[in-house]
Amino acid sequence: MAETRRRPAGPLAYTLRILVTAYLLLLVAWPVALVVTHTFDNGLEALRAVFGDPDLVLALRLSAYAAVVATALNTVFGVAVSLLLVRNEFPGKRVLSALLDLPLSVSPIVVGLALMLVYGGRNGWFGPTLEGWGFRVIFSTPGIVMATAFVSLPLVIREVVPVLKEIGTDQEQAARSLGASGWQTFWRITLPSIKWAVVYGVVLTLARSLGEFGAVKVVSGNVLGETRTATLAVEEKYLNFDQQGAYAIAFLLASVSVLSILIVFVLRARSGRHHREVS
Amino acid sequence: MSIEVTGVNKRYGDFVALDDVTLKIPTGQLTALLGPSGGGKTTLLRIIAGLEEADSGTVVIEGTDATRLPVQKRNVGFVFQHYAAFKHLSVARNVAFGLEIRKRPKPEIKAKVDELLELVHLGQFADRLPSQLSGGQRQRMALARALAIEPSVLLLDEPFGALDAKVRKELRDWLRRLHDEVHVTTVFVTHDQEEALEVADEIVVINGGRVEQVGAPDDLYDTPANDFVMSFLGEVTRLDGVLVRPHDVDASPTPVSGGIEGTVSRSLRIGFEVRLTVLTVAGEDVTVELTRTHARALGLDVGSTVWLTAVPGATTV
Repeated sequence: MAETRRRPAGPLAYTLRILVTAYLLLLVAWPVALVVTHTFDNGLEALRAVFGDPDLVLALRLSAYAAVVATALNTVFGVAVSLLLVRNEFPGKRVLSALLDLPLSVSPIVVGLALMLVYGGRNGWFGPTLEGWGFRVIFSTPGIVMATAFVSLPLVIREVVPVLKEIGTDQEQAARSLGASGWQTFWRITLPSIKWAVVYGVVLTLARSLGEFGAVKVVSGNVLGETRTATLAVEEKYLNFDQQGAYAIAFLLASVSVLSILIVFVLRARSGRHHREVS
Repeated sequence: MSIEVTGVNKRYGDFVALDDVTLKIPTGQLTALLGPSGGGKTTLLRIIAGLEEADSGTVVIEGTDATRLPVQKRNVGFVFQHYAAFKHLSVARNVAFGLEIRKRPKPEIKAKVDELLELVHLGQFADRLPSQLSGGQRQRMALARALAIEPSVLLLDEPFGALDAKVRKELRDWLRRLHDEVHVTTVFVTHDQEEALEVADEIVVINGGRVEQVGAPDDLYDTPANDFVMSFLGEVTRLDGVLVRPHDVDASPTPVSGGIEGTVSRSLRIGFEVRLTVLTVAGEDVTVELTRTHARALGLDVGSTVWLTAVPGATTV
């Protein structure tokens, strides 16, 4: 390091570039690329096998369902909480803000266990009552959705809060002075202003939700064809020496995430171009 | 009376922003709320608009008690210092906003928007986004947007404060002309006395949360109610314990009756005028402004002994 420092800025920048590239390559690009190549070792055979297995199709559908519902919940909740945090003063605001980061800092497995303690059908605090009403949470879809929603909860909020702070309240006040109600102001002014933050938050939430493993493993019960999600199926396949199957599902999960990020990228570029064209 | 504010108080914690303010603003005039920063003028404007709620007191707009009315029901046009343009909407959609909220028919909205954009000279920019306009253009758009709803009063909060000096002056003249055309009761907040004196029909001087004086620009300048109004509206100096404007002090190289003797300690020439600092025998520093020609005729320079008097008819407090 001492040597690089003595050199002029050019080589230093070069070294940094190589370091960053190598880091990303070794940590992210190469391993993910290997998943792709392993998936297609035998052509489309592995993917065909996945889609030919009704239990795996069900696992993929369950994952998609949990991710979509959790994302929808967290989007509505996230935008509402962001508005509350940025536009209102109330006692305990800092505490709430800190609490909202908890799902990111707590291990998902702890989340799973915590949900068990509350909603567990036999020993949970609230679970038996719910089960008495015929509503099963743990070892069932609601539990999976809740665990997924828990771990991905702060992502929309963390995207939206800084943007809300940045845009300030002037535009909203102007809308109010022009006769708009609170609801009209939100739909016509606030939401369009934070649109891209919400979209990013949704994509991150969706990606995180699809990939959730630990919390879901605890609360789902991992019953084949019922409550086994795609990530659980990956583990199962891998442990049963069906590596090709594991890679194929992993590939599907990863491609959905990559695809959603790509879609946002394209949409964003297009809207940027649209704005320039207007001029 | 278009706006009647009675007994309004507003505190932020320990800070008293408005202290029992009572004020009447006449219909159809251009009124300036003038005062130093933190004096309460913006708070008063925001309370009139309904963007802020008074702790006590009432606000009546065009005969209707608006004290408890939320901002969207008051039918006031409000223009913000930093434009508050709707960034994602075109200039035309910005102006149309209030009419769309009121669910006016489309052709009517279009006609009204076109008319207003012409009025503020932004006709050819209708389809642009606010980010593609200059500051002055954005503020004109904001003004058109506020006028679109045919407000009973138009309120402007330091409307030219964020603009550079030249555009500021242009817009100021333009606002005056616009007001002469549209005649809507207009109240604008400013800390710039020149702006207030030049544009307003009536000036309300506000300081420390209180109304110091209300009057036409000339009245305020010629018969200020107190030290504060006198010194806020222009340069002042103290001659024999009395506040007087430096250009109202006459300096004579020979003794005059009632003249106060002193020595010129500093002489500064700024263009056509000469600003003298005179140290009187009583130990006062008095500023005197003379024209260059006058000073030269009197032969005054640093070290000269002079006798100072306030000119007849000078404004003093």
